[in-house]
Amino acid sequence: MVLAAMVFPLFWMFRVSFLPLASDLGWTDLLSGKWDIGAYGDIMSSLGMMRYFFNSVLVGGIVVLGNILFCFMSGYAFSRYKFIGKNFWFYSMIGVLMIPAHVIIIPLYLMMRQTGLYDTYWALILPFLVNPMGIFLVRQYVDSLPRSMEEAARIDGASEFTILFKIIMPLCKPALAVLAIQTFLTNWNSFLYPFILTSSEAVRTLPVALALYQGHQAIDWPHLMAGSSLAVIPVLLVFLFFQKHIISGITAGALKQ
Amino acid sequence: MKGRSSLAYFFASPWIATFGIFWLFPLIFSLYLGFTDYRLLRPEFNWIGLDNFTRLLGDAAFLESLINTFIFVFGTIPLTTVIALLLALLIERGFPGRTLFRAGYFMPSVTSLVVVGLIFSHLFSRGGYIFLLARICGFDPPEYGFLLSSRTALYSIMAMDIWMSAGYYMLLFLAGLKAIPIELYEAAASSGAGKIRQFFHITLPLLKPVALFIIVINTIKSFQIFIEIFVMTRGRYGTSTAVYFIYETGLNRFEFGYASAAAYILFIIIALFSLVQFWLFRKGQIT
Amino acid sequence: MTVGFLAALIMWQGCSEGEKDLPTGPITLEWWHFWTDPDIRPTIEQMVADYETANPNVKIKLTDLTWANGHEKIVVAFSSGAAPDIVELGSDWIPEFSFNNQLAPITAAVLADTGAYYGWNPTIHKNDIYAHPWIMGTRVLFINRGLLKRTALDTNFIPLNWPDLKKLCYAVDSLGEDIYGFGSNAAEKHRLYKKFLPFFWSMDGAIFGYTDRFAGFAGDQAYKAIKFYKELHDSCSLVDSQRGLEDAFLEGKVGVIISGDWLLKRIKKENRNIEIITTLFPGPKYPGKSFLGGEYLAVSAQSPHKDEAAKFIRFITAPERQLQFCRANFSANPSSKTAAADSFFMSDPNLQTFVKQINLSQMPPADPQWVNIEDLIEKTLEKILFEKAPMAETLYETNKKIQEYMDKNK
Repeated sequence: MVLAAMVFPLFWMFRVSFLPLASDLGWTDLLSGKWDIGAYGDIMSSLGMMRYFFNSVLVGGIVVLGNILFCFMSGYAFSRYKFIGKNFWFYSMIGVLMIPAHVIIIPLYLMMRQTGLYDTYWALILPFLVNPMGIFLVRQYVDSLPRSMEEAARIDGASEFTILFKIIMPLCKPALAVLAIQTFLTNWNSFLYPFILTSSEAVRTLPVALALYQGHQAIDWPHLMAGSSLAVIPVLLVFLFFQKHIISGITAGALKQ
Repeated sequence: MKGRSSLAYFFASPWIATFGIFWLFPLIFSLYLGFTDYRLLRPEFNWIGLDNFTRLLGDAAFLESLINTFIFVFGTIPLTTVIALLLALLIERGFPGRTLFRAGYFMPSVTSLVVVGLIFSHLFSRGGYIFLLARICGFDPPEYGFLLSSRTALYSIMAMDIWMSAGYYMLLFLAGLKAIPIELYEAAASSGAGKIRQFFHITLPLLKPVALFIIVINTIKSFQIFIEIFVMTRGRYGTSTAVYFIYETGLNRFEFGYASAAAYILFIIIALFSLVQFWLFRKGQIT
Repeated sequence: MTVGFLAALIMWQGCSEGEKDLPTGPITLEWWHFWTDPDIRPTIEQMVADYETANPNVKIKLTDLTWANGHEKIVVAFSSGAAPDIVELGSDWIPEFSFNNQLAPITAAVLADTGAYYGWNPTIHKNDIYAHPWIMGTRVLFINRGLLKRTALDTNFIPLNWPDLKKLCYAVDSLGEDIYGFGSNAAEKHRLYKKFLPFFWSMDGAIFGYTDRFAGFAGDQAYKAIKFYKELHDSCSLVDSQRGLEDAFLEGKVGVIISGDWLLKRIKKENRNIEIITTLFPGPKYPGKSFLGGEYLAVSAQSPHKDEAAKFIRFITAPERQLQFCRANFSANPSSKTAAADSFFMSDPNLQTFVKQINLSQMPPADPQWVNIEDLIEKTLEKILFEKAPMAETLYETNKKIQEYMDKNK
């Protein structure tokens, strides 16, 4: 029942995407039997849309992989190690999250223009390869893991790399799974940075393309809803793929060692 | 352990590099702008000291946006966190079809904020589902729609935000719950502790790190709420929030120095809140 | 493996896409525009292709902007010194850019056009012209003839002045519980003021005063205008966002709304079964003055190819191209007087209304700080219409603020 309430707006979105192109959103139209796949047809047969889809998947994929690796490394470092300036880097990292994008976008845009990265995939990837939220998440998770295993492994003479990747990483699967989902989701729906940092259709991403369905005086609802419904699919796939790692969790087996 | 220190730097290097290259300069530059009278499109930078800040403290529009932001933060975070925890506990119990429920609760956070904002703009309007539902349930919704009345606009957006975020944080709580070793529960049960005691003495304390993460991140995000306001009401009817004020002042009125100063006042507020939260949830020993 | 290679190939291509051509040899002009609607974009592409064919050493790179965020992107680009060569700007944005020396003067190139086009006012700054008018847009009254017929009024009734308008709205409003006479805008940014200013201007009001030294918002004209508007608003109006009003109008729930040519396009596109009539905006006596805005093309001061850019602008805004655009987009107000005389605009009587209205409409004052004043006016309207503030006092307060602004900045 709660589920129904939560899902209804999405169901509405789904329903509207099937409306014939030129209808209003009144109840008569919604409840009528008209199910027109015109909007979907337009989108899926559009080469441009396929390209934007691909761009979003490409950029999203690279950013997620990068984040899984780098956030894990950095998060572990912040949790377990002491080093000079650790607190500075940690709090400045959280601090970055606290400044609205509009304020820092101009210098960032200028930088991209000067380095020639403007309007390329790199502009969409490089600044976002390591996300403070991800580091923070890993750090919190690692904090809650008992240190006993690492100590034992160190006594056994294992190198830090082995400890990190062979022992801690498997234990962190739930956190990394959440990180993957979260990173992909944020990146997939990200609008402002891709909009400002790119112009050509070759590197356009899906949210920017969907924004173009909001016209000057009218919103092209069927196309916009169809596009958004389709856009949900990859995220759901990522979610379904990673969620089993959240559920498996660590069990007694690891501790017994 | 000197060797470990350099290794630590190596591990932390991706972040340090990314930050140093992309984010450090913009942050410092925008802080500098807060002390100037910089206007967009006019490349003049005159240092005016604290003038922007003092002006902000007397700016009714800015103060109103701060109040709205506080209402938003205090109104959504407790509810979102509690609902997320309850949902996670429910799901963890395990029952048939729970994968569907998990996906279902998570779904709202999957669609882009812009699209959700547009959809809800319509649902909240005179011809929309929520309006109809309110009528059916006997409430008296505002004549022109929820978003066109200063009584209800902000709260409607808050409700939408809780709807969107609960599922997402539920996921995080789930991950945290799974990290608690089953032995602890078994040990407690065998020594006679009931479910409630187990919850308060095992579950909650061990969820602290995850809870801290959730609350801090939610706080930071909620203080910066912008897109929903932009898409749904453009700050009218009492929905102007801090970041919306910054956007409007900086990018529409071109008073970018002034807006940067406002951004840093917001930053200080958020940072204070986060520090308090970090202190409240400070690491305890896991015995 | 192949996927990886393919990805690398596409990435490499993506990287090189952003490079500009060297000054010697072919020239690339970057044009940022807003017409991304699938109905009209092919026309834009066609015009660009035609130009490239006629000028083989020039290549035009199109960048699409969204209506919601495009202005931000333009401002970010200009502010960081990396602006496109040609940019489409709305009429009320031009002064922001021209007063700050961000646009290149194109006076010499367009001097010949000044008599043949509408809407030069916002483009002039210190005796130079900084933009070329392209597609304009005015507002007219839309009346639901079906509802009109159901009233006791004559079926050919046309409101020529305010008493007529009041009569019409009241008559329609009394037709039923859920039928309203007038569609009044809710507090929607950038929309509400466009609905009120025609009433103000029809009373011969002027925001900056006639001598340009005293603000004119507290006088009799403003008072009478807001009084009439408030009367319509309070007694026989449906209040909603512009889109909501249009939806309700098309469903036959509202008798009269103020709207632009996009509504004609919508009726046509969605094949709406509604009988409408459009009429010129009424004043206290006939005729009144409506609102005029428009899209303009300008050259950036940072462009290395200003002459070529100006030439391209003249091409796009030429009468033939404007006609091409208007046919495709069902736009009613080209800026070119030659284009406006074409028989296309005779094909629909409603288009004719728009064409006539442009001669009886006015633009807001061309000032770089118009955004602030517009905001002041909208807040004033909100106070009076929605918060029941006293009219005379609120107008007086606003006028004081406008005066402060004028004293500070002139």
